[in-house]
Amino acid sequence: MSDAAATMTFHPQPQPGAATPWAFPAPERGQLPNGLTVLRCHRPGQQVVAVEINLDAPLEAEPAGLDGVSTIMARALSEGTDKLTAEEFAAELERCGATLDAHADHPGVRISLEVPASRLVKALGLLADALRAPAFPDGEVERLVRNRLDEIPHELANPARRAAMALSAQLFPAGSRMSRPRQGTEESVERIDAASVRAFYEAHVRPVTTTAVVVGDFTGLDLDAALADTLGAWTGSPAAPRQAPPITADDTGRVVIVDRPGAVQTQLLIGRIGADRHDRVWPAQVLGTYCLGGTLTSRLDRVLREEKGYTYGVRAFGQVLRSTTDGTGAAMLAISGSVDTASTGPALDDLWTVLRTLAAEGLTDAERDVAVQNLVGVAPLKYETAAAVAGTLADQVEQQLPDDFQARLYERLAATGTVEATAAVVNAFPVDRLVTVLVGDAAQIEEPVKALGIGEVTVVTG
Amino acid sequence: MPMGHTATQQAGSGGLTATEHRLANGLRVVLSEDHLTPVAAVCLWYDVGSRHEVKGRTGLAHLFEHLMFQGSAQVKGNGHFELVQGAGGSLNGTTSFERTNYFETMPAHQLELALWLEADRMGSLLTALDDESMENQRDVVKNERRQRYDNVPYGTAFEKLTAMAYPDGHPYHHTPIGSMADLDAASLEDARAFFRTYYAPGNAVLSVVGDIDTEQTLAWVEKYFGSIPAHDGKQPPRDGSLPDVMGKELREVVREEVPSRALMAAYRLPHDGTREADAADLALTVLGGGESSRLHNRLVRHDRSAVAAGFGLLRLVGAPSLGWLDVKASGGVEVPDIEAAVDDELARFAAEGPTPEEMERAQAQLEREWLDRLATVSGRADELCRFAVLFGAPQLALTAVERVLDITPEEVRAVAKARLHPDNRAVLVYEPTAPEAAEADVTAEETETAQ
Repeated sequence: MSDAAATMTFHPQPQPGAATPWAFPAPERGQLPNGLTVLRCHRPGQQVVAVEINLDAPLEAEPAGLDGVSTIMARALSEGTDKLTAEEFAAELERCGATLDAHADHPGVRISLEVPASRLVKALGLLADALRAPAFPDGEVERLVRNRLDEIPHELANPARRAAMALSAQLFPAGSRMSRPRQGTEESVERIDAASVRAFYEAHVRPVTTTAVVVGDFTGLDLDAALADTLGAWTGSPAAPRQAPPITADDTGRVVIVDRPGAVQTQLLIGRIGADRHDRVWPAQVLGTYCLGGTLTSRLDRVLREEKGYTYGVRAFGQVLRSTTDGTGAAMLAISGSVDTASTGPALDDLWTVLRTLAAEGLTDAERDVAVQNLVGVAPLKYETAAAVAGTLADQVEQQLPDDFQARLYERLAATGTVEATAAVVNAFPVDRLVTVLVGDAAQIEEPVKALGIGEVTVVTG
Repeated sequence: MPMGHTATQQAGSGGLTATEHRLANGLRVVLSEDHLTPVAAVCLWYDVGSRHEVKGRTGLAHLFEHLMFQGSAQVKGNGHFELVQGAGGSLNGTTSFERTNYFETMPAHQLELALWLEADRMGSLLTALDDESMENQRDVVKNERRQRYDNVPYGTAFEKLTAMAYPDGHPYHHTPIGSMADLDAASLEDARAFFRTYYAPGNAVLSVVGDIDTEQTLAWVEKYFGSIPAHDGKQPPRDGSLPDVMGKELREVVREEVPSRALMAAYRLPHDGTREADAADLALTVLGGGESSRLHNRLVRHDRSAVAAGFGLLRLVGAPSLGWLDVKASGGVEVPDIEAAVDDELARFAAEGPTPEEMERAQAQLEREWLDRLATVSGRADELCRFAVLFGAPQLALTAVERVLDITPEEVRAVAKARLHPDNRAVLVYEPTAPEAAEADVTAEETETAQ
C-alpha cells in the first residue's frame, strides 16, 4: 500500500535533546531512640506517601514443621491491637484511604503502607500499633489459618505458581527452607495457632531490628514528631546477631514435567541459582540477562515470539533470594514463559539454540549499548512514584546493601563492557546446568522433550 | 457540601492544568506541563475498540494493535520497540471495548522521538504491513489468549459473564481478546480495511504530559502529525443501548477443573460519566471494595464461607457499565449458602444505604485510587485521553475526584436499590470436577435460566 505514504510528509528520525541530569534519590538515614532505623526521602509532588517496613524475621527462623507461621503472623498484625478489634482496625485504615500489605519472604517480613500525605500521621499510628501491640486474637488467627488453607489449592492450580514450587523443590536440598513453599503447605499451616504466631512475633519482631522507609511529599508535615509519637513509642529487647546458612542448590541439567492433562499451553520455568547483588559480577549479569530475555526485542523473544509465534513472551531474570554482606546469598536465575502445547519441543529446542549461540558467539557491542541505554535511561521513569523508591530502598536494607547501591549501580552498568556482560550471562545460564520445569500435558510433551537431550525427564502428577 | 473528607487541598487535581489544541486534519491534542521529574509521557487513544468489530471478526481490534508494533514506512520491523527502549523509554498498547491506546514514557529529552514514531505509524502503517507480520502476530495473540484466559482457572469467567450481560448481537457481547476461530479467520485485507477506517487523525486524541515546553511540543506535533491526511470513513459503532435493568436473572453453571466453587455475577449499572455511575462505584466499594467492606466482613470474616469476596466496576460509556461480583468459596461450602448471604447483604444495603462511616471510607479509598492514577505522567496522560475521547472534555480528568466526593449517601442507596438485585444480574457458578471427568466432559457447560 502506498496511498497514505504518498501524501504524508516524512521527516528524518529526530535526535535527542540535552538530557536533564537525574540521580536515584539519596535517603536520609537516622535512628529513633528505641533503635528503629528510619530512611526518609522527600519527593515533591508525590501526594501518596509510601512506607516500607522491614522486619528481620526470615523464613529460616520458622520453627520446624511450622512453615507459614511467618506469613500468618504478617497477616495477623493487622487483625486487631490493644486499642482496636480486627474489624475496627481495617475500618480505620480504610478511613485514611490507606492500603496495607504484609508478606513474609526468605530475608524477612515486609509491610507496605500507602496513604495520602494528609493522613500519614493517622496511618503511621495504626501501623505502629500493629507492630507494637498486635492482639493476635485466637479467633482471628484461626480464621487466617483456614483462609490460608483455602488459598493453597488456588496456588497449586496456577501454572506459574506450580512451576515455581516445583523448581524450588528440585533445586534446594530437602532439609532447606528454600526447598519448600514460602507460605507453607497444607500440612504445616494446619499446625499454626495464635500461640505459635505470638511466639514467632516475640522471638523475631522488635524495634532494634526493624527499618522504616518513608518516601513522599513531606511539605507541611512534621515527620520527626510523627515518627516519635508512633513508631518511636514501640519498645523491645536487644537482639542477638543472626547467622544465615549458606544457600546451596543442585543444578544438574534435568527436566521435570508436572502433568496437566489437556493443558493448552506448557508453562516453562528453567533455572538455577547464581550471583546475588553483593557479587561484583551483578551489573554485568543484569546487563547480559537483559540482552538474553529482558524484553520482546531481546534474544529469546526475537526468536520464540517475533519469529516463531510460540509464545506471548518469554523472560530471563535474576531475582535475589537472599543477599548478605558475608557473601552467602544467592539469586534465582531463570527463564520463564508459556508456549502452546504443540510447540513445546520446538520452543525448547530454539531456546537451547539461543543459549548455545550466545555462548559460542557472545553479545554484540550494539546489543550491549542498547541494553545499557535502556537500563540506565528508564531510571527516572521507573522511580517516579514514592512506592517505587521506597521499595528499592527497602530491598537494599533487606539485602544489607549501602543506601547508594542503586545510584551507583547505574554508573557500574554504564562502565560494563560487552565481554563482561557476555561472560556473566553465559555463566549464569550454562546449557548443561539448568533445571527445567514444565507444567503441561505430559502425554503430548514428554517424548518431544526427551528427544532434545537436555537432561533426564521425570513426570510428576499435577 | 458533603465534601468534608478530601485528602488534598485541591482534591486530586493537585494544581494540574492542561491545554487543548486541534490540528487541521482533526487530531486533537492535550498538553500538560509538570517539571518535577525529567520525563514525558505520550499517549494516543484511537476511538476504536472491540465494540466496533463485526460478527466473525472478534479480536480484530486487539490483533491490529499488535500489528501497529510491526513497523511502518520509516521504522523497520520491531523498530518501534527498539528505538523507544534504546532511548530509555517504556511503551505498550492496550485494547478494550471502547478504545485502543498506545503509550510511551520517555526521558524528557527523547520526547520528539516518540512523537515521530507515533506519527509514522499513524500515517504509513500500511506500507510495511505484510503477511509475515500478520501470521506471526496471529500466533502471538492466540498464545496470549491461551496464557491469560484458556490455561488459567476461571480464566474465561469474564468472557462468559459479558456474553450473558450483553445479549447476542450487542457490540459488547464479546470481549477484546476475541475467539480462536475469529482470530484464525482474520485476513490481511481485514487489517488493512480496519486501519483505513479507524486509524485517522480525526479519530484520535494525543496527550503529552510531563517535563515539556508546550509551545515546542505543539510545534513538533504539527511537524510530524500535521501532514497526515484527514479521512473519515468511520461508521458509528452499533447501538449499545439497553434497558436499565435486565428484567430477569440469567444463570450459567460451569463444571470444569477449578480449585474451588465460585459465585460470580455481572450487574448492569449506569453509564460512565453520570453521577449515578460514581454513586455505583461508591456502592460497590462499600459492599465489596476492601477488608472493611460488607461482603468481606460477612463472607470472609463472619460466615467464613469464602476465601475472597469483592466487587469490581467496569465503567462503560457506549453501553451500561458492569458491576462484577467475584466470590471464591471456602472448602466444603455450597454456592446457595453464599448466594443467600450476598442477597441478604445487598437487600439490606438497598434498604438502609451506607452509614456515614462507610461513606467516608469508600470516598477515601476512591480518592487514593485517583491520586495513584494521577501520580505518574503516564497515568495522567491516559486519563486526559480517556476524558477527551469518551466525553469530549479532557479537563474533566482533573476534577474526577471532586465528583466522587460530591455524591450523597442517598444517591448511593438509590443506585443500589435500582440496580443491585437478582433481576438485574447474570450469574456464573463454578462447580469443580475431578481431572478425569473434566477431560471426558470438556464441552459440558450447561446453561440454565432462572425462573
